[in-house]
Amino acid sequence: MVIERILIFLLALIGFTAIVGAKNIIKKVFGLNILNAAVVLLYILEGSRIGDQAPILGEGITNMVDPVPQALMLTAIVIGVCVTALALALAVRLYKATGSLEIDTISERLRSEH
Amino acid sequence: MKRTLFIIKITFTLLVLALAILPVILSSHPWPEASRDYLYEHALTDTGAVNTVSSIYLGYRAMDTLGETLVLLVSITGTMGILINLGRESEEEEAVSFSLAPEKRPTNAQRTHLLEVVSSKLGPVVLLFGFYVMLYGHISPGGGFQGGVIVASAIVFLALGTETQTKLTNTNVLGRIEALSFLVLIIAATSGVFFESGFFGNPIKSGSSLSANFIILLNIIIGLKVGTSIAVMCIAMMGGRRGH
Repeated sequence: MVIERILIFLLALIGFTAIVGAKNIIKKVFGLNILNAAVVLLYILEGSRIGDQAPILGEGITNMVDPVPQALMLTAIVIGVCVTALALALAVRLYKATGSLEIDTISERLRSEH
Repeated sequence: MKRTLFIIKITFTLLVLALAILPVILSSHPWPEASRDYLYEHALTDTGAVNTVSSIYLGYRAMDTLGETLVLLVSITGTMGILINLGRESEEEEAVSFSLAPEKRPTNAQRTHLLEVVSSKLGPVVLLFGFYVMLYGHISPGGGFQGGVIVASAIVFLALGTETQTKLTNTNVLGRIEALSFLVLIIAATSGVFFESGFFGNPIKSGSSLSANFIILLNIIIGLKVGTSIAVMCIAMMGGRRGH
């Protein structure tokens, strides 16, 4: 049970490293997605601690997992898609304006323009 | 020197973050079973959906789903607003982009023969599977959002694979379907008010065998809305905005 948590923790750290450390905007968006996936996995793991069957009622279902975290994470996934789309659209716009996706080059070119 | 300083800064930030979130992730606090037990007892009679995840996001927490579709609407509006004037500025840049054979519409620009053959054959099958997931969301794993995303990927396959532009890959038609499904969602949400079950309440009396029909209706509407919005966003990002 602990090994999954450590893997999720590493996944969150990878995502955060990409957001903070990467110089490329597309890689930052990837990091945002990885962090989102880590949070989703953590919620699903927490909900599955009290059962081992899918939350669909029927014959032989006696020990199902908690469906509330799954319903919450449905929302989180959709919002993650929305955030990714907006961020990528802004990245496209920035690339058209400055001709680069590296943040150092972008700030340099924007500074030299003014 | 500058790079070493940068790496030290990143490492320090990660250490601080690790100290902050490690207790949250490693906590072994017992998960409460009250909601699971309540849903196991009452979900079927309250909402009529066998899939308890569906009964939560379309029955108990349907207001949350309305907010979620609003977020999707705002996101697609922002994306289209940002992207709408792109591509019109420089014509020579398009000529050097991915284009294998520059067709009439810019959507064709990123196609190869392999992509064309595979995606045009795969598109209708994926579309059918998306509608299956959407329609059977109340009794099997799936639902409106999942089916909608599969439908969106099918539309993207068709947009990448077909030779001529069809109605299914036209952003104007897709945008109209999206707006119409949002209108139907609002009407379906308010219909519960006239049957004494409140906003987003099930207008069909609970306990009868027909009460799952409301869940099916909402699943179809939400699936259409999510599918068309994500498809419109993807087609706009491929540069197919002008092609109609």
